[in-house]
Amino acid sequence: MGLLNTPFLWVVITIAVYIVAYMAYGRWVDRKVWKVDAKRTTPAHMYMDGVEFFPVSRYVLWGYQFKSVAALGPILGPFIGIAFGWLPALLWIIAGNFFIGWLQDYGSLMLSVRKEGRSFGPITYEFTGAKGRRNLLAFVLFYLIIISATFIALIAAFWNAFGGTTFVPTIGVILAGVLCGQLLYRVKMNVFAVTAIGLLLVVFSIWLGIQIPVVLNFGVWNVVVWAALCAVILYFAAVLPTPTFIQPTNYLAFYPAYAAIILLLVGALASPLTNVPLAEPAFVGVWVTNFGPIWPILFVAIACGAISGWHSLVSSSSSAKQLDIETDALPVGGGAMLSEGLLALVSLAAYSVVAGLNPLGSSPTAWVSGSELLVAPLVGGRAVAGAVLSTFFGLVLIIYAITVQALVTRFFRLVAGETWSEGRFRILGNKHVSTFFSLGVSWLFAVTGSWWALWLYFGGANQLLAGLAIMLIAIYLAKSRALTRNYLIPGVFMIVTTLAALVYETYTFLNAFVQYVFLGNSGPLGSQTKPPVSGYPLAALTIDAVFVIVGVSLFAVGLSMSIRLFRSYRQSKAEARVRAPAAADGGDPAKEEE
Amino acid sequence: MAGSKASTPPKGKKGSVKEGIKGVMYGMAAHGHVTAALRTRMYLEHLFMFITLGDMLGVPVIPPYYSLRILPYAVPNIKSWKQRVFRERDFTDGVF
Repeated sequence: MGLLNTPFLWVVITIAVYIVAYMAYGRWVDRKVWKVDAKRTTPAHMYMDGVEFFPVSRYVLWGYQFKSVAALGPILGPFIGIAFGWLPALLWIIAGNFFIGWLQDYGSLMLSVRKEGRSFGPITYEFTGAKGRRNLLAFVLFYLIIISATFIALIAAFWNAFGGTTFVPTIGVILAGVLCGQLLYRVKMNVFAVTAIGLLLVVFSIWLGIQIPVVLNFGVWNVVVWAALCAVILYFAAVLPTPTFIQPTNYLAFYPAYAAIILLLVGALASPLTNVPLAEPAFVGVWVTNFGPIWPILFVAIACGAISGWHSLVSSSSSAKQLDIETDALPVGGGAMLSEGLLALVSLAAYSVVAGLNPLGSSPTAWVSGSELLVAPLVGGRAVAGAVLSTFFGLVLIIYAITVQALVTRFFRLVAGETWSEGRFRILGNKHVSTFFSLGVSWLFAVTGSWWALWLYFGGANQLLAGLAIMLIAIYLAKSRALTRNYLIPGVFMIVTTLAALVYETYTFLNAFVQYVFLGNSGPLGSQTKPPVSGYPLAALTIDAVFVIVGVSLFAVGLSMSIRLFRSYRQSKAEARVRAPAAADGGDPAKEEE
Repeated sequence: MAGSKASTPPKGKKGSVKEGIKGVMYGMAAHGHVTAALRTRMYLEHLFMFITLGDMLGVPVIPPYYSLRILPYAVPNIKSWKQRVFRERDFTDGVF
């Protein structure tokens, strides 16, 4: 089989482009824009307390950063992206990461390092004032609800697929994780022994899942029940102490999740030898029915593999407090993001070998079919390993979603606790009430069935957060009289693109609402939701109206925040022009005199 | 401390690769959990300091007799405790 009709060639080309991004563009930005200095004291040394601030080797921090940013985003984004053909999706994964993605992660890390390890909240306050920070808080709350709804909808869809074989392994991973936590913290057992026991239990639960598939018989209500079950698990994850639930479960889930990526990468690179051809068209068109125009939809559909706002929060939260020397920022921030691009790449490879993919008609579980196609020839063929691979990759999808969602639900609880700690709505600050509220709203959104619309809202909010983070970085660089165009242009592009995507998505819901109410046409209404909700016009109409409100709110908060940031940028530029020179390197007087 | 152990410079090229792989594995699998455990300990230590020094700050938590008995254990931590308590905190610090 030729190289051109398998994913091999473009996987290799993308890896080569990412290497150029790191070695050439990355080092140029490092030297010319940020002027990093290995001798400058980082917050890890300046405020070392052995608890939050302490220096960590670049290898450890890279691993931590990659693990924190790589989740379901780069896996499922390409599924919608491929509706336009695999070539546009591939080009965005390459160009988005090359010019914007890694630059944002690395810039957020450096910004926080230069700002004494402060996270994005206080930095936003400094650059845009109290209203700006409040805007950020509101935006993050909306964003968390949308992520939760999307992930709950997807977990429910995954449990409902694969012949019901993935539910038992999921519970197996959770119970094994909880047991590992007890063995580790209470019995004080050796970590290697605990890991071995945990992994054996995971393997056993995969076998058990194939033997005892759990299939619900509620017809179109299946997904509703699965979503409720998912919300219950997430509730316990959010309110129980982290060493009891989230920590050990996420630790154990790490092994199958990363084994799957390695298997998939090997499968994609071996595709010319294993004769797995490309089955999807390279290009479909610039307008795809039900999805809309390639710009801006593709650019928000593929979020995390190309660029993601969530990463800016991660980079400025823990990593910046533990960066040993400034020169480590490129491998940690930039390197981890480029590696995540590879995750999106192999996921795109998995989708591209599945024939007849239709993101609206088929389920995102197609990733599992593609992974199975790529990996099965390496382990004895589909006849021998098909069932195991299907359950394994299905479990991996769920693991990626549920481990991150547990953290997101917990984070929402912390944000709600801060937002409503006092005042009339202080009841919402209670940990049980806020968790119940967030999961309840997310569950309601999730059962509408329009996961692709939720995904596009999620992508829009996520990419907008990225645009806002890039603008914060540009403001800092402007204040420091450093080069800003490398950040300003991507920042403007991302903000305009994502606001346009939010407008388009809101329009689709508004159109469905208007068509039904004023013209009596139920067609668009039916296509915006799935059964069982679509069977009840009033419920579908309400959901449509709610999604219009969500879209308008996200747009309004995003726009308000963008205006504040652009004003602050302009002001910073003007101030920098009249102020005494100070460089991004902290204004070394010796350098200023040169 | 977990981090300082991992930041020890590796010896030789072979050792460097081995240390790198070990570091990446540790970072991916456990570093976040270690950091979270350290934070939990930090909050417990804050509580301990508050209980011990509360009396001297005008908030009597335990009788002064016991405060004075455990004071020698609290004194070495006063500086780092002050630094952590006074540090500006925000919801975005709680992401990971």
